[in-house]
Amino acid sequence: MTPQKTHAKLSRRGFLKASVGLSFMVGAGGLIAIETQAAGSPALDVNPWMTIRADGTISIIFPSTEMGQSSYSTLPQILAEELDADWGDVIIEQLNEDDRTFGNPAFGGVLYTAGSTGVEGYFDPMRKAGAQARDVLLQIAAREMGVDKETLITEPSAVVAPDGTRISYGALATAGTDGVQIPKADDVPLKSFDAFRIIGHDIPRRDVPGKSTGKAVYAIDVTLPGMAFACIQRAPVEGESPVSVNDAEVRAMPGVLDVVLLPDAVAVVAETYWTALIARGTLDITWSETSPFRAYSSENTMNLYAREAESPSQTPAVWAENGDALAAISQADTNLTHAYLSDYAYHAQIEPMAAVAHVDADGKGAEVWAGTQTQSWTTNTVMEVLDTTQDRVRLNMMTMGGGFGRRTAFVQDYVRDALLCSKSVGKPVKVIWTREDDVKNGVFRPLAVQRMSGGVSSDGKLTGFHHRVATPTVIGFFNPGRWNAVKPNDVISMRGAESKFYAIPDFLADHVITQRQARLSPYRGIGAAYTGFAAEAFMDELAEAAGRDPLDFRLDLVEGNPRGRHLLEKVAEMSGWRNRGDRAMGLAFAGYHSSMAAGVVEINLDQDSGEIALENMWIAADAGLIVSPDNAHNQIEGAAVFGISCALSERIDIEAGEVMQNNFWDYDITRAYQVPPIEIYMAQVNEHPTGVGELGLPFVPPAIANAFHAVTGKRLRHMPFTRDRVLDALNS
Amino acid sequence: MTKFTLNGQPVEVDNPPEELLLLVIRDGIGLKGTKYGCGAAMCGACTVHVDGEASFACQLSVGDVEGADITTIEGLSEDGSHPLQKAWVAEQVPQCGYCQSGQIMRAAALLSENPKPSREEIVDYMSANLCRCGTYNRIFKAVERAAQEV
Repeated sequence: MTPQKTHAKLSRRGFLKASVGLSFMVGAGGLIAIETQAAGSPALDVNPWMTIRADGTISIIFPSTEMGQSSYSTLPQILAEELDADWGDVIIEQLNEDDRTFGNPAFGGVLYTAGSTGVEGYFDPMRKAGAQARDVLLQIAAREMGVDKETLITEPSAVVAPDGTRISYGALATAGTDGVQIPKADDVPLKSFDAFRIIGHDIPRRDVPGKSTGKAVYAIDVTLPGMAFACIQRAPVEGESPVSVNDAEVRAMPGVLDVVLLPDAVAVVAETYWTALIARGTLDITWSETSPFRAYSSENTMNLYAREAESPSQTPAVWAENGDALAAISQADTNLTHAYLSDYAYHAQIEPMAAVAHVDADGKGAEVWAGTQTQSWTTNTVMEVLDTTQDRVRLNMMTMGGGFGRRTAFVQDYVRDALLCSKSVGKPVKVIWTREDDVKNGVFRPLAVQRMSGGVSSDGKLTGFHHRVATPTVIGFFNPGRWNAVKPNDVISMRGAESKFYAIPDFLADHVITQRQARLSPYRGIGAAYTGFAAEAFMDELAEAAGRDPLDFRLDLVEGNPRGRHLLEKVAEMSGWRNRGDRAMGLAFAGYHSSMAAGVVEINLDQDSGEIALENMWIAADAGLIVSPDNAHNQIEGAAVFGISCALSERIDIEAGEVMQNNFWDYDITRAYQVPPIEIYMAQVNEHPTGVGELGLPFVPPAIANAFHAVTGKRLRHMPFTRDRVLDALNS
Repeated sequence: MTKFTLNGQPVEVDNPPEELLLLVIRDGIGLKGTKYGCGAAMCGACTVHVDGEASFACQLSVGDVEGADITTIEGLSEDGSHPLQKAWVAEQVPQCGYCQSGQIMRAAALLSENPKPSREEIVDYMSANLCRCGTYNRIFKAVERAAQEV
């Protein structure tokens, strides 16, 4: 393992080489270097967050990757705000290497785009970076004008003196830094939130025009001269490998360049993808049959986890604890226990896995074009596969056709495929997984059994709550090194089970870490996608046992959380909750990390077919300060739409180690006709932003289950609520 | 040789006639706005117009379109000025954007056969195309906005 690089010696883009301007380098602690670029200087010897050029353009590094969440636009806006830049002057530059100088503070400096942490993690460092640079510009302007710096103000991309004299940032950038002192990050005052010109305003996303004209370039679109195409036949079951391949016929096909044995797959490399696809169909592969995964089926896995939830073979890992929940529940006037089940789920991002690699002639370096959620682990993948060092890795982080957690692994198999194929044929190679490849070799949200227990008092109060989750560790599979550092606490498996928005005096959430029987991954909402379901559907059961309205029962629990209380009251008002009569409405209060959402859905149930349709949805959300309100609205709504199919249809089955689903004909995700009108309220809160990417999802499944109960008196405790399960519940 | 019209220009390709039109458009001709999503007529990311009708390019062989008039997202307008494209920007529809070429092409076919569709007609028509980011409500609004301008 080579040490992580922090200062890249980069040859920046050509136009920068000949430019004149100021460069700033800013890490999580703020500005750490500055130098002027002379005209015609050969290259920068730092990798700056920001460059201001003589023509007034301002380049700002985008340190995350873009998968639809719009941090490509939002993060640079944070820096531009404190710099007091004219947003129109800003050029956004994708960070294309594992340079931990720009690491996400929320992930210990790893370049990792996940878990709604981009704005939350970069908000402070990027504000400080912009403010420091603005201070330097003010110093230069004061020197040039011969006035006291304190008399100067900034307007977008210009310093303005009391007499009205203006100097543009571009002009200041070429004036030299003699006498300039770089202030400490924490010493520079930041703007008050009400002075923001960019943050909190609806600045259009930069990527929308390209995405409305077909011009946006994804990894699957990358084309290089002399590029070949690979189609991969992967082992039918995890843990198997090709024993022999009868490929004489395939190799004889016109246009086929190579048949490459991979550790768990066989690749056909050809001049066109069509040839590779056809040729793959004629491969005759003998697979090993020794994998223990052949013994697993999801039905048996569910039974195993249910037994483990009931009587764990090992002591559960405590996830969150307050008081003595078990004693409080056993002593309660009324107590109840129910198991909540959820199946494996698949990301279903519309761009299937694709990557292009061009391995160097010596096999020890490569340029890679890939859409992934992490510069760090994609770099790691290249280093591991080619047994090479970081300086030989050249990345191009492409905008992604959806991520949702699919592209987060420590070793990325689709990148590996492209590298090994390119190395074998000595050409650049594009790998494209077909949709069937993507489904059958998916990495899934884990199957889980949740054993919920609670107690209520005779006066209708919640007295104890125990949330036990029986599911494997996800981190242990997709990033084993990380698991060694954090075990037994798996935030991917457990998030949401902490029910932290409620004050419950006697509370326990614990994790029965079960055996992994499928490939796993983070998925939108991570643990909250299923823990939110169990927690908030069961909360309705407790409210019923207490003889209370579901809203009133919850309001008791948020007395110490005025922001949460506001959301519940607001969504009740928006939806007409108090006057709902016999409408089929359900309420849930969930969220993600520190962001909260109270939601109400109204459903229409077809009692003959078992089909649930969404009629209306209301959401009241609080994610702290909202940097880009219109995009936040889009993200919250999108996650809620994701939550609909999560609740109603998304289900992966495994039999004898093989994934049974194939494509969108047997893995249903929400279609247009299934989307109700969605009304969203976002609280205006001047607190640190906490993320909006997952926020709209966790409340949806429990709200639907609770609405179903409102209209039928029956409970849905197995997600997704497929028609057969709905009919079973109706007949129970 | 297969001859057809693509975005107003005559083209001739020598791909095998059974090769998928989608691959010919993307890799042979090099227009990448039309996307591969499922290969099974289930997602609509590959939607193009064949003689004015919204069609799945993953379901057609290039030999099927001999003599046909095909339009892709690149041919909808030269500069993104089609009312639907302007509406997509005005409503800030896309998130990941991968499905949006197909969405816009399907919406364009709808408006050419039904210039003033009701919300219900829009929803029905657009249900052939998947958007995993969940931008459907914005798609509906953008189609309605464009319909007012057409």
